[in-house]
Amino acid sequence: MKAITAIGSRVLQTVFVLWAVVTILFLLFRLMPGNPMAAYIDPNFTPEQQDALMARFGLDRPLWEQYFVYLGNLLKGDLGESFFYRTPVAERVLALLPNTLILTFSSLIVAYIFGVLAGAYLAWTRGSRVEQVAVPLVLTTRAMPEFWLGMLLLAFFSFTLGWFPAGGTRSPGAEFESYWALYTSRDFLVHLTLPVLTLAIYSQGLPLLLMRSNMLDVMKEDFVTMARIKGLSPFSVVIRHAARNALLPVMTSFAIAVGYQIQGNVVVETVFSWPGLGRELVRAVSASDYPLAQGAFLMIAVVVILMNLLADLLYALLDPRVTRE
Amino acid sequence: MTPLTMTTRIALMSAALATFGATVASADPIRRIDLISRPQAAQPAEFQFTQLVAQEWRRLGLDVNVRVMPWEQMLDIVWSSRDAWDTTAWQMVGRPERSDPDEIIFNLFHSSTAERGFNFIGYSNPEFDAVAEAQRVTLDPDERRELIRQAQAILAADQPNMMLAHPQSTYAFNQSVWNPDSVVDQGGIGIRNTWTFMSLEPVGDQRDIILNSSDNVQAINPLFISGGVDSWITELVWDRLMRIGPDGLPTPWAATGFEWIDDTTITVTLRDDMMWHDGEPVTPEDVRFSFEAAGSGEAPMYSPFVANIESIDIDGMDITFNLTAPSAAFLTASLAKINLIPRHIWEPILEDLAGSDQNAESVQENPPVGSGPFRFRSWAQNEEIVLSANEDHFNAPNADRWILRIVPNVEAALGMLRSGEINFLADLPGDPSVLQAAVEQDENLVMASAVDIGFRYVAFNNRRAPFDDPAFRNALSSAVDRRLVVGAAFRGFAVPSSSVVSPALEFWHNEETAMTEAGIDHAMSLLEAAGYRVIDGRLHYPEGVSETLD
Repeated sequence: MKAITAIGSRVLQTVFVLWAVVTILFLLFRLMPGNPMAAYIDPNFTPEQQDALMARFGLDRPLWEQYFVYLGNLLKGDLGESFFYRTPVAERVLALLPNTLILTFSSLIVAYIFGVLAGAYLAWTRGSRVEQVAVPLVLTTRAMPEFWLGMLLLAFFSFTLGWFPAGGTRSPGAEFESYWALYTSRDFLVHLTLPVLTLAIYSQGLPLLLMRSNMLDVMKEDFVTMARIKGLSPFSVVIRHAARNALLPVMTSFAIAVGYQIQGNVVVETVFSWPGLGRELVRAVSASDYPLAQGAFLMIAVVVILMNLLADLLYALLDPRVTRE
Repeated sequence: MTPLTMTTRIALMSAALATFGATVASADPIRRIDLISRPQAAQPAEFQFTQLVAQEWRRLGLDVNVRVMPWEQMLDIVWSSRDAWDTTAWQMVGRPERSDPDEIIFNLFHSSTAERGFNFIGYSNPEFDAVAEAQRVTLDPDERRELIRQAQAILAADQPNMMLAHPQSTYAFNQSVWNPDSVVDQGGIGIRNTWTFMSLEPVGDQRDIILNSSDNVQAINPLFISGGVDSWITELVWDRLMRIGPDGLPTPWAATGFEWIDDTTITVTLRDDMMWHDGEPVTPEDVRFSFEAAGSGEAPMYSPFVANIESIDIDGMDITFNLTAPSAAFLTASLAKINLIPRHIWEPILEDLAGSDQNAESVQENPPVGSGPFRFRSWAQNEEIVLSANEDHFNAPNADRWILRIVPNVEAALGMLRSGEINFLADLPGDPSVLQAAVEQDENLVMASAVDIGFRYVAFNNRRAPFDDPAFRNALSSAVDRRLVVGAAFRGFAVPSSSVVSPALEFWHNEETAMTEAGIDHAMSLLEAAGYRVIDGRLHYPEGVSETLD
């Protein structure tokens, strides 16, 4: 019973957050300077056309009316029509979302597997020469701008060595039966490698350093000392006792990193011509394409909120000490 | 110089200034002038030339403030608040249909478009209006040429805008893939054009034209004039009765020929060997339907181009257009502009739209069906468009496929050109000298650069003092050496501009508009002749004129 109430209130909170996000987005874009007509300015652009366009976009109506129309449509699952592309926003956003999610999750999974293992290792070798070199190196990779790192990888692996293609998700003119066939093809993986590597190098610092400092804390605790006294092997002490406990905060940070990463994708998507949501978002904001910008932001917000919810629930599951009192 | 003479000079100077100041007590100093530019990251050349222009104007005693803002924001001011700005950088891009000067001459400067049209600078000159109107209805090319030249001369005298440069459109291709002799240089457009895409001849096994665009494709729709990149596609998928030829003049395309019956009647004959991509024949009824669809209200962007058509008659393969008024640009602006669309596909669509609040611009056919030299094949959003050669076309392309890759990163596009991932560089938003360097390192790459129909300029707000004074505009314009602009802002990839009709349009361009004298001294003498004075280093209005703004 208690659990149901807890989950119920969590869901209610989520709905409230979504409403707030939607409202802020709606106002934010309309208060920004700019004009969706910018895309249409042409010597043959007549006043009649301008009026028709504004009416077509619903921008001739008062703001509050636009807001309620927007909310009403949203409840029906209708994200509206893009000013720029003139096609339904949902269609565009959903077509690009998989590309962004694949890029985000694969790079984060690579970053977290590497980060967790390397972090545990560095904690274990505390005070050694390896640590002296590795920690500053990790901090350096963390400080490198993504576009710079991306361009560097592009120049080296693509333009100099010719090992990887320079952009897109597929070779020019390559045809696939379905999205599934594309995503499971070798061609796609080859195209995915460099952007994933860029994002992974950029994001491994957080899990690595987090894991390392958690490990250092955990290894001072009594149960670790106890395990050592019991005469367990160093491997067993580190992996089975210490690492399992140090992992918890890292799991939470993964969920949060997903949200963080989706924004960071904008840069990598541009460098590697990756057709994702981030690039579309920037395009939509700068072109004052309100419906598309709102739709894309909303989609990202939903992913972030869901991941946070998941992190909360997972935490309660993984750590019995966390309860919903 | 001794201390004594120094003091004397200062005393003399202040005395002189005092008397001078007294005589012009009624003149106001010119307020701080804004010059709007887009950001350096987006428009490096524009940012550079506005800095340069501002620097020269400051030497005239003006207080110039360069305001940098993105295009959308710039538009909010320049387009929507027409009396709230001073000067702004602006750009017209070259398009095949701008090979006829009417669009630029009329829409940019005729007073009827001042309120809400493209004459956002508010230029108004009855003499010019008369010439601009006359050239529209003069069908004799030589007579019309005189009028167009006259219009340019009036603009040169009035300087409503400060023309700066015609950039060179710069593209490149891989000559180990494409035979250089098969590349067509279209006057004022460059080598990236429909003619090139149809005639490119493969040298080896690679038979696909793979080209880049830095911007996304907005729509592939014959009834929607969308982004610039989109027009590359519509021109290949759909045919038109005429096309703008490599020489910049309209040439028969889907029509075998045309004949003016009188000033307002023209008959074209449709080819009899054309098929839609779905296998149906192209009929004169389809042609009439295409023009009616453009004017139906469901395709608002196209309606200005058919507004002059009163009715269309069909007799066998002959199609006769009856016009409301004579129109010299009709071939270019209407016959070479309207996409021919299949009636059997679009008629039901337009009937459905008639009752709804949607229009044809929101319709994305899947697949788009035209009759053009390339068929639509696939579209991966924000990534790639694939067209394939239409072997049944009367001018079938030599290449197999036309593959457009969306590459927002210019450096990557250059790298792709060198690695072979693309073989035709069709879009280069950045500095052409970077491309030049790449081409010099790779003997397979060929760069082609040609003067564009498009141009860059600084627009004066003719509504607002002091820019309402032609003498003042002339002086400001002549203060800037265009060679400096071309060298510093365009790295030499441009030619100085003196007229909105580009020198690339040899027939129409008036070379007498070229500026004879430039420089600060000349500008200063023009200002002085018009009564402007520099007092304490600050430029003042002529005597009796006061600042009219709040």
